[in-house]
Amino acid sequence: MTRDKKVLSLAKRLVEMSREGGIVTEAGVSEVLAGIKKIKPRRELLLLKTYLYFIRKAVAEQTAVVATPGALGKDTLAAIETQFSALYGRTIHAVIEENPSLIAGVRIRIGDDVYDASVAGRLKRLAESVR
Amino acid sequence: MKKILWSFAAFTLLSGGLFGADPAASASGGPISEIAGQFGVNGHTLIVQMLNFGLVGAALYFLAVKPVAKTLDERQQKIADGLQYAEEMKTQLAEAERERAEKIKEAAQEAQRILTEAREQSKEMIEKKTQEAAAQAEAILRKASEATELERQKMLSDVRQEVARLVVATTSTVLTTELSDADKKTFSDAAARELAGSVN
Repeated sequence: MTRDKKVLSLAKRLVEMSREGGIVTEAGVSEVLAGIKKIKPRRELLLLKTYLYFIRKAVAEQTAVVATPGALGKDTLAAIETQFSALYGRTIHAVIEENPSLIAGVRIRIGDDVYDASVAGRLKRLAESVR
Repeated sequence: MKKILWSFAAFTLLSGGLFGADPAASASGGPISEIAGQFGVNGHTLIVQMLNFGLVGAALYFLAVKPVAKTLDERQQKIADGLQYAEEMKTQLAEAERERAEKIKEAAQEAQRILTEAREQSKEMIEKKTQEAAAQAEAILRKASEATELERQKMLSDVRQEVARLVVATTSTVLTTELSDADKKTFSDAAARELAGSVN
């Protein structure tokens, strides 16, 4: 992560340009990358690394990674997207990540926030509460 | 000694008075002259003899008696001085003895006072040390009790953690093996809906 203010500012503007309807889309990112390749700005590599960092952060913030040991119903995923979109005030897209160690239940990660409703998590909290 | 000499001189003078003072009386035939004549005393001879005797006595007095008397006086003075010195020494000795006794008495009193103070100090020190030892013993007991309590709490905590770990491990194993995929899906859907519903 660079400390160059110009690079940071330009990367953030490029991330905003990558959004379509407030959501970072593949098409938007491709369009921005094509523009960078065409313009060839100064410190291109540093700019690309910074842009990648902010894109990953933006994607993580708009994606609800739902970890679960098995499959979930579509209604469940839709409910998650609806509720968390309402909570964060932006469109949240849910994706499933299989994790058998959870035993049962779900663990949802949105950006740096984690919501745990898994059996493994509950058991862990139970064990920690005994200390 | 002087008395002897003065007695001799007086006798001589009296003798001169008796036998030489009045030759006329002797010639006139007084009773005294008669007696002197009977004894063969001649007045002129007696006077000369008296003078001779006086001269010899004076010579003896000034040449022998007086130095001897002086020597005797000096010796007497020395003896008196010695006796006085001895008396003074005796007095001084008595004074020294009295002072020594007084100093011994004072020393004994001082020693007694020091001994008393030492006893009091030792008694205070013993009491102080006893109190300190009691306080230290109490502190050691308190620390030991606290350490025992801490150890007991730690053991209880360890036991709780171990029990919880065993319970969690056993439960995880049992749930993993016993829950079917349908059960897991049902539980996961319910948990997800509950979670989604609780965030708003």
